[in-house]
Amino acid sequence: MRRFLLTVFALLMVLFAWAQQRTVTGKVSTVEDGTPLPGVNVVIKGSTNGTVTDAQGNYSLPVDGSNVTLVFSFIGLQTQEVTLGARSTLDMQLNADVTELTEVIVTGYGSQIKQELTGNIARVSGKDVENVPLASVDAALQGKAAGVYVNSQSGKLGQAVSVRVRGTSSISAGSQPLYVVDGMPITTDDQSNMGGQTNPLVDLNPNDIESIEVLKDASAAAIYGSRAANGVILITTKRGKAGKTSVSVNYQTGISEETNRVDFLNSEQYSKLILQAAKYVDDADGVPLDDPDSYTVYAKEGVMSYHSFGDWDTNPKKSYDWQDQAFQKGSYNQGDIQINGGSENTKFFGSIQYLDQEGIIVGNSLSRVSGRLNLDHKASDWLKIGFSMGLTRTYNERLPDDNSFSNPLQSVALLPMTPFTDPETKLPTGTPPGDPNVGLYYNPRISIDYADFVQEGYRNLSNVYAEAGLFAGLTFRTEFGVDILNQNEEGYYQTQTLRDNSSAVNGLGQNYGTFVANYNTNNYFNYKKEWGKFGVDAVLGMQYQQSTSKENFIQGQDFPSNSYKKIASAATKSDGSSSETNFRFNSVFLRTNLKYNSRYLATLSIRRDGSSRFGANSRFGYFPAASVGWIMTEEGFLSDNPTLSFLKLRASYGRVGNAEIDNFPQLGLFIGDAGYAGAAGQRPDQLANPDLKWETTDQFDIGLDFGLFENRLTGEIDYYEKLTSGLLLNVNVPATTGFTSQTRNVGKLENKGVELVLNSNNFTGAFKWTTSFNMSFNKNKVVDIQGQVIEASFFNRVMEGQPVGVYYTVEYAGVDPANGDALFYKNTKNPDGSIDRSTVNASGYSQASRIVAGNPNPDVLAGLTNTLSYGGIDLSIFVNGVFGQQNSTYGMGRYSSANMRFEDNQTVDQLNAWTTPGQITNIPQARFYANNGAQLSSRYVEDGSFVRVRNITLGYNFPSSLRSKLKLDRLRIYGSVLNLLTFTDYKYWDPEVNNDFENDTAQERNIALGNDFYTPPQPRTFLVGINIGF
Amino acid sequence: MEYTKYTYMKILLGALLFLTVVISCDDRLEVDPTQSIDQNQALSTEKDVLVTLIGAYDGLQEEETYGGDYMVMSELYGNNDDLFFTGTFEGLSDIWNTETVPTNENARATWIDSYIAINITNNVLSALDKVTSSEETRDRVEGEALFIRSSMYFELVRFYAKTWDDGDNTSNPGVPLVLDPTRNITEADYKARNSVAEVYAQIVGDLERAESLLPEENGIYATKAAAAAILSRVKLMQGATGATPQQQAALADARDAADRAIEYGTNSLADDFQSLWFTYINEQGTSPSEYIFAMQVTTQDGINALNTYFGNTIEEIPGTSGRGDMNVTEDHIARYETGDVRKDFFVEVGGQFFTMKHLDTYGNIPVVRLGEMYLTRAEANFRLGTTVGADPVDDLNMIRERAGLDPLASIASVDVVVEERYLELAFEGSRLHDLKRTRRNSGGVVWNDPKLILPIPQREIDTNKQLTQNDAYL
Repeated sequence: MRRFLLTVFALLMVLFAWAQQRTVTGKVSTVEDGTPLPGVNVVIKGSTNGTVTDAQGNYSLPVDGSNVTLVFSFIGLQTQEVTLGARSTLDMQLNADVTELTEVIVTGYGSQIKQELTGNIARVSGKDVENVPLASVDAALQGKAAGVYVNSQSGKLGQAVSVRVRGTSSISAGSQPLYVVDGMPITTDDQSNMGGQTNPLVDLNPNDIESIEVLKDASAAAIYGSRAANGVILITTKRGKAGKTSVSVNYQTGISEETNRVDFLNSEQYSKLILQAAKYVDDADGVPLDDPDSYTVYAKEGVMSYHSFGDWDTNPKKSYDWQDQAFQKGSYNQGDIQINGGSENTKFFGSIQYLDQEGIIVGNSLSRVSGRLNLDHKASDWLKIGFSMGLTRTYNERLPDDNSFSNPLQSVALLPMTPFTDPETKLPTGTPPGDPNVGLYYNPRISIDYADFVQEGYRNLSNVYAEAGLFAGLTFRTEFGVDILNQNEEGYYQTQTLRDNSSAVNGLGQNYGTFVANYNTNNYFNYKKEWGKFGVDAVLGMQYQQSTSKENFIQGQDFPSNSYKKIASAATKSDGSSSETNFRFNSVFLRTNLKYNSRYLATLSIRRDGSSRFGANSRFGYFPAASVGWIMTEEGFLSDNPTLSFLKLRASYGRVGNAEIDNFPQLGLFIGDAGYAGAAGQRPDQLANPDLKWETTDQFDIGLDFGLFENRLTGEIDYYEKLTSGLLLNVNVPATTGFTSQTRNVGKLENKGVELVLNSNNFTGAFKWTTSFNMSFNKNKVVDIQGQVIEASFFNRVMEGQPVGVYYTVEYAGVDPANGDALFYKNTKNPDGSIDRSTVNASGYSQASRIVAGNPNPDVLAGLTNTLSYGGIDLSIFVNGVFGQQNSTYGMGRYSSANMRFEDNQTVDQLNAWTTPGQITNIPQARFYANNGAQLSSRYVEDGSFVRVRNITLGYNFPSSLRSKLKLDRLRIYGSVLNLLTFTDYKYWDPEVNNDFENDTAQERNIALGNDFYTPPQPRTFLVGINIGF
Repeated sequence: MEYTKYTYMKILLGALLFLTVVISCDDRLEVDPTQSIDQNQALSTEKDVLVTLIGAYDGLQEEETYGGDYMVMSELYGNNDDLFFTGTFEGLSDIWNTETVPTNENARATWIDSYIAINITNNVLSALDKVTSSEETRDRVEGEALFIRSSMYFELVRFYAKTWDDGDNTSNPGVPLVLDPTRNITEADYKARNSVAEVYAQIVGDLERAESLLPEENGIYATKAAAAAILSRVKLMQGATGATPQQQAALADARDAADRAIEYGTNSLADDFQSLWFTYINEQGTSPSEYIFAMQVTTQDGINALNTYFGNTIEEIPGTSGRGDMNVTEDHIARYETGDVRKDFFVEVGGQFFTMKHLDTYGNIPVVRLGEMYLTRAEANFRLGTTVGADPVDDLNMIRERAGLDPLASIASVDVVVEERYLELAFEGSRLHDLKRTRRNSGGVVWNDPKLILPIPQREIDTNKQLTQNDAYL
């Protein structure tokens, strides 16, 4: 018996030993692209036994028994549990953590786990912006982050994008957020000297981006102090991971077209309307219709016949849609190679990209070559060093600004009977030696053929760092970065463009050189320590930034022939200049994150900023912030709640500033640009204000982060109030002083809003479906501007009690059915206080008082992304919506939708112009050269809300069986469509619009909103692509 | 890691370095502008004053002032039947239609730029004590500054206020008189409008002093003749039709000022009417001697706004350009007698006619030319029944004969002189003022219709509560 027991015991021991000796091995990689994952924890559930994967993602772990469950976990990835069974190898693919609570969030001079965050930071993963056919990352952010309003403004390539974080928080100072790339505030201001504003962010390859963090509330942003009132966008580029060197090659190609066209009159419709309009005026003047000075004869001979080379007389139905000449089929080609790898001590990420894009408007293209190398090296157990370098060349064949006769889309104003080409010369209509005055206006096509307008930029975004571990928990990090922007803009206008460029008699050449050297250093200590339940994470540091812009310009005319295009050949150097400006910031900051018992959280921060932009009296400012958080699900009463897996309440309050004004605003200045006829001159240029200081924004935010059903559904709700005071306002002064404004700290405005974010894991099995949704509401209100009247564009205005830039104009009352007069509501106050709703016609227009007729700021923003995958197939659909804003079409509408006030071709709706007494219509009677309804009025204010199917991507990942034969880690093909559908009531090209010529100053960019002026629409782009990883 | 002395040393060194960097960087925040200078240093020397005077000419040359808009607005207001404005600029179109509103962009820009030029002249006048090289230079500088300032005030008062003698000049609001440079903004800068009488008094006083100080020859800059010529315009405006003894006296002053402008001999009448134009295309930028005062346009500086609107690209004449916004009607051309060279001074483009006066892209802009002085002297002499300087019919015939017309034996009525003045100076900027002065209608609009007065710009009314708006815009 004893022997038996011993035998059994021995046998069991053998079995046990056998079981112990059983080792499970496998490889852990990512689901998305099969990249091996080093450092993943692999633990046997219910025990402390475990291991971590090596540099190649491999692990090996002894296990006992068959009833073993392995837990794979890694920060930022979804934890997976798998029952081992009898298997001895188990490969694992990990998903990005959809709960997002464990995401690492970059906070500026540090990082934090999302669930411990007490401020409001929206994180957008690099994945969300990669391979979208948009050259700049800001445009790709549209609809991706709650409270971030992105307006691409036009479909021109490389042009400025307007971004507002939680509303516009200034009137005269800049409202664009601060962009920080790898710790370095970069140059994002417009650098264009010709045409509309350009976007220096185009120089950053979006595929190099690991993550984008938008710091929204004061607690998150106050670490950037005086730079942070407009929010801060932190961009972190990809860094190397230890392991096998992986190479990823991506190529995508496609075509694009305009998202919309507008219907204009054809020749028959046009002649009907213009003759109707001319007859009215001739009858009114008592001029016979055949009198040579009559409008009718002018319309026939001077307009329709003349501008059709006489063709209209014989061929009155022949019609041309000039949009055919403005739009073209665009193309998109992009190739990327990314390399990633290294050892535990030295890791690298390298990339190169070539992008070539033809716009949807003739003559518009953008190409970019960019390379990046990011290197991290562990020099010793206490010292890490590294550097990042991004080099870019951008080449942009640009378009003139919207308000130019050479803007291709303005050719819709040309007559439908005007042929595209001159029948004699076969050249574009209006090209000499043909009659240059044929074509109601200059034919933009001539500039496409006979003018160049090119911007070429070189950009170097580089930085180096060293990080030293001083003693337990204390590290010191120093960073030095440069952002060098070197740009040349060159324009050459041949003599054929004379009608557009009066100085191009014998050719006109222009050349601008721009050099912006921006450098920055960050030096900070970080102290991280836990004492039992108490944890602290503190940062103390300084930042110094200096930026110098230099610009030079030369213009020449009188060239020997059009073959000579460089100014060296210009007989007359007709203009030239050089200029320089600079600014500096010096800052010290301190931030402490405190944690107790993993449920009570607090962050305190303060920053002191000094800036060269302010006078000695007020050069320095202090920006404090505090926030607290309470993870309620850690408390006993909620810890075992089956539904609620996570709940955190947080609140923050703090002060941030805005210094985004021109340099030297505090000084009283004379400027030496007032020469006359070759003699040098000077003139007073600016009024002094030595007390000028920062604009300050105090922001309160309260939020709730939650997770339900084991965090399958997570979300955030925030309410905020932002009060900006001491606005850096361009205060109007009487022009009789010889000045029109002075920058003073005057006035208040506020933004209040609610943000909602939901992320849901609808299905998690083989068929995966995730939904992410964000929605935000913002209410902007100017509280006090001390009675200032601040206007921009035609009727954008800043008014107390109203959002910035409302449309303030006369209210259109439609058409008098009796006589076809355009009517306007008087809207004046009666003696008893009521409003006089009687109407006046054009001759009484000046008696009508103006009202707030629209708001160009949206009330609601929303974005919805659904991602589905099954097997190797994945599908993602991203829809975004912008609601509640109005656009102004007055700029072009007063010509093109003005019941034939001028000769310009009209939108088809103008055919409904009033003709007979009793007729009910909204279009007044056509009266040639008489202003019957084209006055400034709400007739030209339109709803600009839209919902857009922004991006759809369908991909297929080839299975490993096929890939292993090809020795590939990844093989994916995909197709995508950008801007497939747009749902809107807006009647012009694109509701996402703002013209590019009324935004020279920050004030105009804040106020002159929603104005359409023959502004090109967004492209609709169809792409196919292939991605290979090995 | 152990906490050794070495570790603490490292921390201390780090902290010290940190502090040093912070402190040293604060000093770097003091940055001076590179292309502007502080207003306190700007007027320290004679050279500073002289370049500021050039700055005043630059201000005078702005498109919104004598760069052409003053002339363009006058012609648009006064030529409803003779011009056909096909342009798309709302501000000008409204002026042509006599439908201006307080927000009219031209009314706004012209007001602002006129006062900018005035402030520059006030800066010059405030620093005359720095001009020490010679009394002659100081006189010239003062004279030029006064000339520029009074020219701007004269344009302002005749565009933005009621015509002289349209009601009570001492109670009709003119424009605010600002005579000191602005350094900062105080309550005193929120000025009310001075009366029409006060503004005219200032203008006349300044011009008389300018005429006494200025040299007879002064290159492209203001001369005695220029001051006398503008003074003759001011006085002719005050003289109107000579209906009262005061008007008679003003007419006499106008006549005498015009006579002086002629008699200084600085300028001479061109033999050939056509040679008065195309100063850049034909003369490389040199003005004809007949221009008493002109704005100099170069390829590098200055824009000829008359060219912008009246001009057009004529293929046969290289160097021409323009928007072609101002079609001259056939009715207008019919006003000229057969054989009048001025009748042929129009060019046809696409069945529309354009004046040839403003085709030259870089053509200089005559502010006042000698031809006008003969016509002024003739009109004043004729109205007064005098023959100061010359018999009115002889002055008139000088102009007629140059245009290739037969001389008149006598002047039948003042209408003949007024019409000759219109034809000779057509589209050069005097139309509206001549209509108002001679109490004639513009198309169907009566000369003193409040709509023929520009609004005080709405931005100005909004900014300065002391200002009152003109009647048509209340």
